[in-house]
Amino acid sequence: MQLYITALQEGLLYGLLAVGIFISLRMLNIPDLTTESSFGFGAAAAAVTAAAGHPILSLPVALVAGALAGFVTGLLQTKLRVHPVLAGIITMSGLYSINLIVMHNTPNLPLGDNAIFKLLYACFELSAIQKKILGAVVSAVFCVIMLIILIRFFKTQLGLCIRATGDNPEMVRASSINVHAVKITGLCISNALVALSGALIAHYSGYSDIHSSNGTLVYGLAAVIIGEAIFGRRGVTLGLISSVLGSIIYKIIVTFVVQMNLFGDYSATLMKLMCAVIVAITLSIPAIREKRQNRYNGKERGENA
Amino acid sequence: MLNISKLSKTFSPNSQFERHVLNGLDLELKDGEFVTIIGSNGAGKSTLFNAICGSILPDSGAITLNGRDITLMPEHKRAKFIGRVFQDPMKGTAPSMTIEENLALAYSRSRKGILSTAITRKDREFFKASLAEYGMGLEDRLTTKLSLLSGGQRQVVTLLMCTIVTPELLLLDEHTAALDPAAAEKIMEITNSIVSKNHLSALMITHNIKSALSTGDRTIMLDAGKIIIDLSGEERAKMTVDQLLHLYSEKKKLELDEDSILFS
Repeated sequence: MQLYITALQEGLLYGLLAVGIFISLRMLNIPDLTTESSFGFGAAAAAVTAAAGHPILSLPVALVAGALAGFVTGLLQTKLRVHPVLAGIITMSGLYSINLIVMHNTPNLPLGDNAIFKLLYACFELSAIQKKILGAVVSAVFCVIMLIILIRFFKTQLGLCIRATGDNPEMVRASSINVHAVKITGLCISNALVALSGALIAHYSGYSDIHSSNGTLVYGLAAVIIGEAIFGRRGVTLGLISSVLGSIIYKIIVTFVVQMNLFGDYSATLMKLMCAVIVAITLSIPAIREKRQNRYNGKERGENA
Repeated sequence: MLNISKLSKTFSPNSQFERHVLNGLDLELKDGEFVTIIGSNGAGKSTLFNAICGSILPDSGAITLNGRDITLMPEHKRAKFIGRVFQDPMKGTAPSMTIEENLALAYSRSRKGILSTAITRKDREFFKASLAEYGMGLEDRLTTKLSLLSGGQRQVVTLLMCTIVTPELLLLDEHTAALDPAAAEKIMEITNSIVSKNHLSALMITHNIKSALSTGDRTIMLDAGKIIIDLSGEERAKMTVDQLLHLYSEKKKLELDEDSILFS
């Protein structure tokens, strides 16, 4: 049981990562590889700020850090016309060094007693399971607040512009909107959320690790896709919510696999491979379905002739 | 109103593919005038529109709109006062967004801050009333995604988006060419009513010479990047398709003669 509560909390915290990826991938229609390091950038920035004694301030700092990363990628792919995927890769590999510098040249930076969740638990006298429940509840409340802000935001004028830019940039330009500025804004928001997720995970695990962002893009994709598979692709509001839910479900599946020891000693090791396989299969379903539908049915024709 | 003088554009200059698409074109549009443009492929019709909209910049010449020089103004800035409907119904709208969201995008841009709610109840009422005028049944489908609409319905939405905030100039780039005849006729009807109701100044490219002569109040023919025929008033009212084609071939012959004198 405890394991599943932990899974719920992790799913919620990683849910913001999924939402960030939903924004770049589904709304802006850009596979944004920046996430592969803006997650760690958020974690590093938050860890340094928190270790210096400002745990709450560390969250807005992470948001700004992520937005900066998104801004660089956005600038590269709009004004400087670098291919979107390459732009993401460039920012990603550059950020690796920056993350190391931010973390004072160590690959792993502990937050010590300044981790938000630790501070929270210290306020009450709780048993181990109560701590987990409290953590999950606080994470859920935080996630819901973020979702409400985002859902409202995507109903504003700027929100509509961001969505339309991914849909039909030519029409956005014809509506006297600066496409480049909108795209950059969208990438800033997406990466800010990813970095916030990284910061929260750092607070949750008590340290920031240089390798924490490995595989975040595929994780986010998996969450978005699982969400869509279950709740359908219907509009933005539902998409944002189902990304978080997809993340939770994914974490629960993983916990289940590990707990049941489905793959023996390799259960925990195989996580990333499983994630990749799930994403690959789900992404290829439309092509497979189309192929099956277009198959020439010779039998029926023979009967008719 | 719109004033275009000595507009020139050459594609791939100084190469074997060099092509003078616009050749010192002059055009003056009076306030509220509806001009139809005809011309064979490559005559420079679309390039003229692109230059007015800013999707391409001309090599020389000037374009002024209501006293403002827009020759080199960025595309998204001049889009504030120029509305454009494309031939391709896919081009003018965002397919995965709903009708009301598309309309809101066009409607609110000039009147609201970027962080205010895009669609209020009042806006919704307004969209409903505006759509109801065209009798396409779209007023009850405000929350339908554009991708589910037919080409004709999409063009209606695009037309409304372009004119919901009255533009200073409306450009119609063969906007009925991709539709079936019935839908095309309906869209032309709607176009006429929108233009006359809002007293819009408009330019319309068409390949249909008959509708070019019957729509609007002036017809120009482009050839090799220049206006070779400019008809209005009584002369235009009497003109038939055959006469116009005849006039065209005579002009062409004359031009060839001039050229042969020039090169002899």
